[in-house]
This record gives sequence, C-alpha cells and structure tokens, in this order.
Amino acid sequence: MAFGLRWAGTGVFLATEIRVQFHEWLAIVTGTLTPGALLIFVAVLAPDLIAVTLIGSLVYSMFLIGQRVLNEAAYIRIDHKLNELYHASPLSPEAYFVGIAGGMLVAYLPPSLFVLVILELLHPLTLVAWLVLASCLLAVWAVSSTIGYVVSTLFKDMKTIWPYSALLTNVFGIVPPVFYPIRFVPIEWRSVVLLLPTSGAAVLVNSAAGLEAITGNEAVLAATALAMEAVALFLFGIYWARRMARER
Amino acid sequence: MSPEALRAVDVRKVYHGRGSPDVEALRGVSLALRRGERIALLGRNGAGKTTFLRIASTLLIPTSGQIEVFGHDVVSSPETVRPLIAVVPQEGKPFFHLTPREQVYCYLRARGIPREDAKARTEAALEKMGLEEVADRLSVTLSGGQKQRAMVATVMATEAPLLFLDEPTIGLDPFARRAVWDVLRDLTRRGCTVLLTTHYLDEAEALSERLYIVEEGQILFEGTAEEAKRQIGGTLRVSIENGGNHRERFASFGQSVAEGNSLHIITEPGRVHEIMDVALREHLSATVGPVSLEEAFLTIVGRSIDAE
Repeated sequence: MAFGLRWAGTGVFLATEIRVQFHEWLAIVTGTLTPGALLIFVAVLAPDLIAVTLIGSLVYSMFLIGQRVLNEAAYIRIDHKLNELYHASPLSPEAYFVGIAGGMLVAYLPPSLFVLVILELLHPLTLVAWLVLASCLLAVWAVSSTIGYVVSTLFKDMKTIWPYSALLTNVFGIVPPVFYPIRFVPIEWRSVVLLLPTSGAAVLVNSAAGLEAITGNEAVLAATALAMEAVALFLFGIYWARRMARER
Repeated sequence: MSPEALRAVDVRKVYHGRGSPDVEALRGVSLALRRGERIALLGRNGAGKTTFLRIASTLLIPTSGQIEVFGHDVVSSPETVRPLIAVVPQEGKPFFHLTPREQVYCYLRARGIPREDAKARTEAALEKMGLEEVADRLSVTLSGGQKQRAMVATVMATEAPLLFLDEPTIGLDPFARRAVWDVLRDLTRRGCTVLLTTHYLDEAEALSERLYIVEEGQILFEGTAEEAKRQIGGTLRVSIENGGNHRERFASFGQSVAEGNSLHIITEPGRVHEIMDVALREHLSATVGPVSLEEAFLTIVGRSIDAE
C-alpha cells in the first residue's frame, strides 16, 4: 500500500492480457516484420553494421510494445468498454495499467529473444553489456508503455489514434539513431538524440558492447536521462491511470 | 451497515464542453434502492441514465450531490465501494480473443476470488446464461447476443451485492432476455440489489419492483409500473380504427392519442361502454385492452416535453 498504491490482481490481469495476446499469435509474429526487414537490408548492404542493427531491433521492438499498449488500451476502452468493467471492481487502476503494460511485454518478448540469440552468435556480449542491455530495454519499455497508455486515454475514436501510433513509432524508433550508429548524427544534434529514450538506450548498449565510442559525459547524459525518463514517466503513468479511472 | 444499497441525494452533473456549450446531464437526481430490490431506470436517449449509473459505479465524479453505496460515499471512498459493485457497461463486449469461460474466470480472479471458487462460479454462470456449448470458442466468433450474454455472465458471477446493468439485454432474442431476467430475479432472491437501465418497457415491467423515469436529467416519476399507468388517467385503452378524424367526438372520455388512422383513448373501465356506444353509432370498430407501460412512459415524458 506504499503511496496508497494497490497491486492486488496485477498478476491475474497481466496473465489475462498475455492470454488475449497469445490467442492473436499472428500479431506477435508480424511484429517482427519491420526490424526483420531492416536486418535483411543491413545484412545485404552494410554487413559491418549488423550488430548495431540487431541492438536497434531490440530497442525498437521494446518501443513497439508501448505502441501495442496504446492500441490494446484504446481498443478495450473505446470498442469494448472493458475499462469500465475493471475500474468498477476491486482491481486498482495502477494494477490495470501495469497489467496491460506487463502483459504486452511478456507476450511480445519471444521475437526479441530470437534476435538476442542471433546477436550473441554474431557479436557476443560481456556481462556488463548484458546488464546495460537489460536495463536499457526495461527503461524503454517503461517509457513507451506509459506514453502508449497515456495517449490511449486522450481520444474517443480508434481511427484518430492510429496516426499517433505511427507518428510515435517513427519519431522515436526510425528517425533517431536506433538502427544506425550515432556517428552518422551531426555533432550539434548528438545531445538531443542522447536525451531521447530510444536512441539514448541504443547508444548506451552499442557503447557497452564496444560497437561505437562515446565520451564519458555523453554516457552519463544518456544514462541519467533514460533513468529519469523511465522512473518519472512510469510514476506519471500510474498517476494518470488512477486519474483516468474516474472521469471528471 | 446502511439499510439501503444505494442512496443518491441531489446529484448533479455538468459536462463542460471544449468549445461547445456545457451540458447539464443530471439536475438534482435523488433516489434510493433498498437491499435486494430490482430497480429500472427508464428514459429517452440522453436522459441521464448512463451518467447516473457511471457516477454510482465510481466511474464518473458528480458536479455536486452525494451517492452512497451501502453507506460508503462513492466519491471519497471508491476503494471501499468497488468490491461491493459490478457493472455491465452499455455496449460492453467481452475480450474478443478470450473464450467466454476464460473471460468470466479471469475477471473473477482479477477481483480476488479464489481459484476454485472462481472456477465453480464460472461454470454456474455459463450454464445459467446458456453458454456451455460455446464456452470454449473465442468470443470473436460468437453472435452479438452470445457476446452480450458473456458480459452478463461475467458480472453475475461476481455475486457482488449491488449490480449496475446498463441496457443488459440489448440485442438479445426473447429467450435469452428471459434467461437474463431469471438470473437477475435469482440474484435478488439471494440478496443482491440490481439497478438496470433499459429501453424495453416490457422488461422494466416484468423485472423491476420499482422504476424511475428520467428526462433531461431529472426524475419525473418514481413508483411501480402499475402506479405509472395510473398516472396517465386510466387503466384501459380503447383503440378506434379509423378514429383519427373523430378525435373531438371522443375528447370528453379521456386522454386521446392519434396513431396513423387509429385513435387511442385512455380511460377508466366505467366509461368504456359509453365510448363503444359512440364508436358503434359512428360505424367505427373498437378494441379494448390494458394500458401498457410504454403508453404511460410516453405520456409522462411527453407531458414534460410539452411543458417545456
């Protein structure tokens, strides 16, 4: 009950969401199409960048989980009204939010595990690099899930939401250096991309894996920004979930 | 514990529009539900029924006024109220990619009901709602009526002390509707209290012990269906075929309503023979029947609209 938060039922709702997603297994498989296609392009056109792209795929896939949170939360609220069924029940709003976010994480993790195996085969990571990778992916999940959940509550029509989902994916996943090294970014833009959770995470993991060099200051900036964004946004997500459980 | 399942006092709700005028959805609604009652909230689309249900079920904060559920304020103590209630939302649908069995079971587990109890309640609810044959099919493959039954089964299985059902039988065939009625009667026999909204007035009459008629966010009528019928000036309806052009001729017998070429007169039993005499003299055929709740509803709401 810390800070008045109630987590009872979170695991059950998370399991419910996993069960729902596994009944839609094709969506899980097709979720790998974009990073998979990029991996093929890079493998053919610039094979020396394949390890960077594999790490980018992991970060991008983690960010896509947030977009799945967006779509799922919006769908069950707008189309099914199931949020009302759950909010008018002992299941707390924070358990509802974390249940959706966690459910998407678990359900959509298998394709990422496959990418991880390829990465380990092509470019084995040190223990430190593994820890950095795991921490960064967790932070990206926290950021993207919160963004996805919050955006899902802002609209009353699924069709309005779709463009925002695509926009967020491109702004955070494709444009910044997630799939490509930060060295291709002009020096004056480097601080900005280090502040973005996706490119910041990718740069940190690439650096830990010895795939590109960044300065100590850049590493501190990216790590601090990512950690703060993850914690602050996730707490905001919980606050927002509680607020949205009761309309004004 | 409070003797009332729900008590609402002067509940008001104003929706503040962004760039559009404010909408006053509830204008001082007061009502009370005793434990174990089945109450229907009737009203036209946009009358305020769903707004009231959403406030009572902790989903919406009122602009002013107070609602207590079993003595607990829904605004200040939602965490205390929520275990005591369950809601079938208007146009709610089950998870399409869960089976009805999974849907009911997972919801009960999320409410904290132990595994074995949840299993037993799930099977009982599926059986009562006639869903055994489709219990293991994904809900996306079910008909609209089966999906709706899955929603009702989900909520009834909770056995929550107070159930809110917003148009629970919409889209159901007459057999399925009656199955829902039976389930609701059974629940109230076991002590649950039910507040439902419906546009099916036969359903309200068959199911509810009392009803409230809401119009423009205000309660126009509170009482039984029989009392509602008595409000409109008679208990019988004489329908005169092709009587539309003779309205003045029948004006003194009671309230008359033209519908197409027919004229319906609401009257008391003692005056029926006089009306029939006049109809025969005019060579018009007439039939007599009891006043329906629908006529009472149309009259009560119609008066309110005319008054405006």
